[in-house]
Amino acid sequence: MSLQTPRILPSHLHAFHPSSSTGSTTYTVRILGTVTALHGSTGTLTCGTNGDVTLILKSDARLQVGKLVEVVGKVTDLEGGTGYALRVLGSTEWGDPADCDYKIYEQVVNATHRFTPIFYSVE
Amino acid sequence: MDGNYNSYNSFGGGSGGGFMPGETNSPAGGKTFDRDNKTLRPVTVKQILDASQPFPEAPFQIDGADVANVLFMGQVRNISSQSTNVTYKIDDGTGEIEVKKWVDSATADNMDTDDNRAPADGKGEIQLNGYARVFGSIKSFGNKRYIGAHSVRVLSNINELHTHLLEATVVHLFFTRGPPGAAPAGGNVAGADAVMGGAGEYNEQNKALASMSPVAKKIYQLLQSEPQDHSGLHMQVIASRLNIPVTEIARAGEEMLGAGLVFSTLDDQTWAVLEY
Repeated sequence: MSLQTPRILPSHLHAFHPSSSTGSTTYTVRILGTVTALHGSTGTLTCGTNGDVTLILKSDARLQVGKLVEVVGKVTDLEGGTGYALRVLGSTEWGDPADCDYKIYEQVVNATHRFTPIFYSVE
Repeated sequence: MDGNYNSYNSFGGGSGGGFMPGETNSPAGGKTFDRDNKTLRPVTVKQILDASQPFPEAPFQIDGADVANVLFMGQVRNISSQSTNVTYKIDDGTGEIEVKKWVDSATADNMDTDDNRAPADGKGEIQLNGYARVFGSIKSFGNKRYIGAHSVRVLSNINELHTHLLEATVVHLFFTRGPPGAAPAGGNVAGADAVMGGAGEYNEQNKALASMSPVAKKIYQLLQSEPQDHSGLHMQVIASRLNIPVTEIARAGEEMLGAGLVFSTLDDQTWAVLEY
């Protein structure tokens, strides 16, 4: 079984949180957004008009504010608060957010969860 | 199966892949599968891994249709260069697969000249964890599935990646659900829309509906919401439900029949919504 990382938006975080799933669904997800803040070991990823996600960074993370970044990570609880955060496993920088049509990404996320059989396995 | 392919090609293709109608004319070679099937199908890696093979050596099938060449995009997770080939491990978020690109000194030169067209910024090189765009054919060796690549290129525009995933969805839906909006008009256009929220047919119909009279709109809504069997609703029933005189219903019905929004079933006065 190979690693699957469904593309999501902040509103989907709860569905990929370990507590909400039944059985062995994948918890690792992929999310696209602009880095809007960095505070030491955490960061904020803004996903177009779909809200923000708190990122828990690895020590060797090299994110830059203002860049478009695709993050692969695991959904966890926000430390000391209510809500979800994403523990970053890896990230890919895509440069200037203006070069990306975020609407297309929203449609990709939509298609991913509407037509799951070609994107990821639900157990 | 072959019929599907041909209709796919007339459908226009999402990928602009190299299928020329003329190529079908070469004599049949008595093969069990279609050698002239030169379609290039946009897929996800998961679809490749899930592809079935009716019997060994048979062409792979995805959604019940033979696949000749596949196109996909993903992140390069491993690169291993050998003297005869380079093997990449590609991960597109739906799965991982190995891609083998044979090293051919002659074509390697061509590739270099090709790359010179782009500004020499060092981006022509496939990088670890960078994105690549691959096309090739599905092969298997033992139990292992891999891609015999014709081309592995760097992908630098994220929109290309995303539209590819949508194209793969369109083609998947084409094979599993049939051509989009088989009814009224603009099948191709509706095809793109079907993915963009699955509302292709409705958009077409909404356009037609927008020009209808208020009574016609009410009837249409009723026909959509009211429980009914295949034969739809009779004009009298509609009139009593909406509390509108039968004569007006009849006029609006004619309007809608003319626009292809509804069709008559049991008799001229019984209509059902034309949905597909």
